[in-house]
Amino acid sequence: MDFTLSEEQEMFRAMFRDFAAKEIAPLAEEIDHEETLPLSLLHKAGNQGFLGACLPEECFGAELDGVSYAMLIEAIAAASMSVAVVVATHVSLVAMSVFEHGTDAQKEEWLVPLATGEVIGAFALTEPDAGSDAAHQNASSLGTRATPDGDEVSLDGVKTWVANGEIAGLFLVFAQGLEGIGAYLVPKDAAGLTVGYREPTLGLRSVTFNTLYLEGCRVPQANRLGGPGEGWKMAQQAQDRMAVALAAAGLGVSENAVEVAAQYATERVQFGVAIAQKQAIQNYVAEAMAEVEALRYLVYHAAWLLDRGGGFSFDASVVKAFGARVVRSVTNRMVQVMGGYGYMEDYPMARKYRDARALHIIGGPTETHDFRIARRIFADLDVEIAP
Amino acid sequence: MDFAFSPEHVALRRMIREFAENEVAPIAAEIDRDHRVPFETMRKLGEIGLLGVCFPQEYGGMGAGEMGYCILMEELNRVCTSTGTNVGAHIGIGAMVIHLDGNEEQKRKYLTPLSRGEKIAAFGLTESGAGSDAAAIRTRAVREGDSWILDGGKVFITNGGYADIVTVLAVTDPTLGGRGGITAFVVETDWEGFRVAREEDKMGIRGTSTAELVFEELRVPHENVLGKVGEGFIPFMKSLDMGRLTLGAACIGGAEMALESAVRWAKIRKQFGQELAHKQSVQWKIANMATEIEALRSLVYRVAWLVDTGQPFTQLAAMCKLYGSEVASRAIDMALQIHGGLGFSRDFPLERGFRDARIGEIYEGTSEVQRIVIASNIFREHSVRIRP
Amino acid sequence: MRIIVILGRVLDPSGIAVNRRVGRIFINREEYVLQPADRCALEAALQVKDAAGAEVVALPRGPLPDDDVLRQALATGADRAIYLAGDGFKGADDGVMVRVLAAAVERLGGTDLVLTGATTMDTGQGQLGPRLAEALGCPQIINAWQVSVTDGKVRAVLQQAADYVAVEAGLPAVVTMLPGALRLRYPDGVRLVNVYKGVGEIAEALERWDVADLVDADGLRPLLERRGRDFPPERERGSRVTGTPQDMAQAAANALQQRMGR
Repeated sequence: MDFTLSEEQEMFRAMFRDFAAKEIAPLAEEIDHEETLPLSLLHKAGNQGFLGACLPEECFGAELDGVSYAMLIEAIAAASMSVAVVVATHVSLVAMSVFEHGTDAQKEEWLVPLATGEVIGAFALTEPDAGSDAAHQNASSLGTRATPDGDEVSLDGVKTWVANGEIAGLFLVFAQGLEGIGAYLVPKDAAGLTVGYREPTLGLRSVTFNTLYLEGCRVPQANRLGGPGEGWKMAQQAQDRMAVALAAAGLGVSENAVEVAAQYATERVQFGVAIAQKQAIQNYVAEAMAEVEALRYLVYHAAWLLDRGGGFSFDASVVKAFGARVVRSVTNRMVQVMGGYGYMEDYPMARKYRDARALHIIGGPTETHDFRIARRIFADLDVEIAP
Repeated sequence: MDFAFSPEHVALRRMIREFAENEVAPIAAEIDRDHRVPFETMRKLGEIGLLGVCFPQEYGGMGAGEMGYCILMEELNRVCTSTGTNVGAHIGIGAMVIHLDGNEEQKRKYLTPLSRGEKIAAFGLTESGAGSDAAAIRTRAVREGDSWILDGGKVFITNGGYADIVTVLAVTDPTLGGRGGITAFVVETDWEGFRVAREEDKMGIRGTSTAELVFEELRVPHENVLGKVGEGFIPFMKSLDMGRLTLGAACIGGAEMALESAVRWAKIRKQFGQELAHKQSVQWKIANMATEIEALRSLVYRVAWLVDTGQPFTQLAAMCKLYGSEVASRAIDMALQIHGGLGFSRDFPLERGFRDARIGEIYEGTSEVQRIVIASNIFREHSVRIRP
Repeated sequence: MRIIVILGRVLDPSGIAVNRRVGRIFINREEYVLQPADRCALEAALQVKDAAGAEVVALPRGPLPDDDVLRQALATGADRAIYLAGDGFKGADDGVMVRVLAAAVERLGGTDLVLTGATTMDTGQGQLGPRLAEALGCPQIINAWQVSVTDGKVRAVLQQAADYVAVEAGLPAVVTMLPGALRLRYPDGVRLVNVYKGVGEIAEALERWDVADLVDADGLRPLLERRGRDFPPERERGSRVTGTPQDMAQAAANALQQRMGR
């Protein structure tokens, strides 16, 4: 078991950090307060190959291995968790789904635009009455319907909390067909598709989360990704990939929070000394760091497992649940280290605190992941549990 | 031991709850969204006497004691932390110093209009180099004839942007430090030399003003010295002590808001064919919240009784603030989680409660300061002197 | 000018759950509130006092276990309040109350105006105002929305269907108020603390009278006897009739006849 990063991985990591520090960090506060995401930033990321992170070089992807991709998301999140979520949604949920399950024609049509960032992807699974956890829904619980009509399919329904809704050129829409749930590639300009209400959120304010309306939205049958009724499994695989990416984002936010707070502690003088000299502050930083390191290796290991293929749901849930806890705990403690300045929006910690809170909710609430972990544990003992 | 609230406190709570639900709750989301201080609420509170709830009736107050003030804070914070904060800074620290240390003329001149809400107060202690270390203040006051000239400034002052009166702590003798070198003054904000420099952009309690104040050759008449020259530190610290108790009361309200939201949602929201109320994850969170709230409630109102009966309370007041702020933070976090995605949306009040609650562990003495106070008090009883 | 306000209390309905299936009413939280309509009457009285000057006296609507409602009235601005107590006062119905209140008015030395709620949240009867007006021999205005007093007359605005109607009566008069029209003031903090602590002038404004001094034992005997209580009968599901108008009319007539047992 060799825990060292390869030379290439070290190089990538440096490159990612450099990009994040130069291109993302200077904008992070402004884009959060203005609740925007300049497309120029995404183009720059696209030019670096980041939007085709794990896609092959032939499609202008960066062909990153799992660990390198995790480090990419980690580096971006250290500057802005919003941007990390935008990129991860695009890559892990959409681009990789097309790559893994697309026909040659579909890959021909979409992979290059996705890799370059010409087209941004959005993933439309959640509905008003059905949470995002694909694994728990029974086959008939999606309200969005896919009705075949000749060589087209008509999609009808409402999707909520669609990340990247306002910037997406391609929507991966999950709908109930006759043979089960199918996944459909729906371009933004398809008739009958409307990107609606944008949720105002506590954190991740540069991400657009929209309600999507499908009213007799027609796409060719050929736009179905994968076989009939395979949408289910596809959604779960996508979410499992996303779980690692989100945990990597949590890692990035956490480590940066510790860095910023530790720096502050060396500068802030109270009672005649820098507060870094106070044992309570030292303990906060130390505990946080231990959590960060534990998360780091859990994330890299999960990323490595993902590359190797095979069943992954359990590991995805473990890394996501742990990541959510760590980022919440660390950002909370680091706000405390910064005192009043941790509460002011013109310092970075308040934003990190708000962003971090998302991780217990997006990508499946932690309760769902806890259930999945418990289910596997008890299944190994031949006991079946229900949610 | 009679644990019942006295009749006037029961009646007071009922009145405040109604006021909170009719006047405060309906605008809570708006003042947060628009980042505005609800002056109209302060006026209405003043009209019915609540802005002087704990001050003596002879100075325009209600005479309902710390108990009454705790009830006010609990009930206001149950619907809106920003409003509770505006009121708390006015009564509990701004005006309180005048009540604790002012002479007869000062009380008549200042405490009476403050009790009636005709004027609003703020507490000018914190500086950029003096947060937890309050004795490290640098604002200077130099005697000149029958006046004092103040130079310096304060930061993070609640109500600072619109207060009429600020009770200010300044250094009058740099060689003496906290014992003998620091003096308290009552400053009127329309005097020349007083300036509001900026308003902070905060994560939460956005319906409050948190301002930076600047004093440039601010002339303060000698008759506005509170208490004795050089002895301002003690009444300021005592105000903070009492403020800690009432912040604990405020946290009861905040935590209750969270618990009520959680229970209401668990009753109606279904998942996997069952209301959330049937899920143990949810039950556990609610039971934990409710238990902590009860523990906090008992602690806070017992300490209010100690204050009102003239008994020592410093250590316990610090516990109220320490425990209360953590209880409230935990409660709102759990309530937000129970609401899932809706908890993360600004269309629902959970995330506002989440942002508002976070300041609890920071302002008016961080949780770290509270722990130092508690530990110091404990070790002092064993003759060990702890320095922060 | 003197204005008498008659107020009562009722269980806060938000603390009550009605379970028809088991045939019970559960009181989950026993808290009492001032009858909303009576509270409106008090506000109306205080507005008249603010405008024209008056002595506002609060009296109870029925037997009360404690004087809390009257203290609330004093805290909100009433000048005097009279708590009525005594053995034999329990279970008084509106008939008894009218006799007691009329006697109380006389003992007070008369009044110019009586204001009370038009109806109550629990029994919803609305009898007290009109019966008291009869007993006092003065005009009554019921279900008023707003009230004012000028030049020795009382003027009230009533809501009737889509219109508002203004009516006038000479004083003394009885006016009953509907809840909702007036913005209700909060009690004054100082008055509240003092009246509940029992200190100061305001505490002396709360008096206690024995009903035996007002009305004899016969007068205290209620006419109504409560024999039990039950839910109204379940509404039965109807049946649908279809067809031509003649068919439907015949079917409906047959069903009615059947119901009436013919």
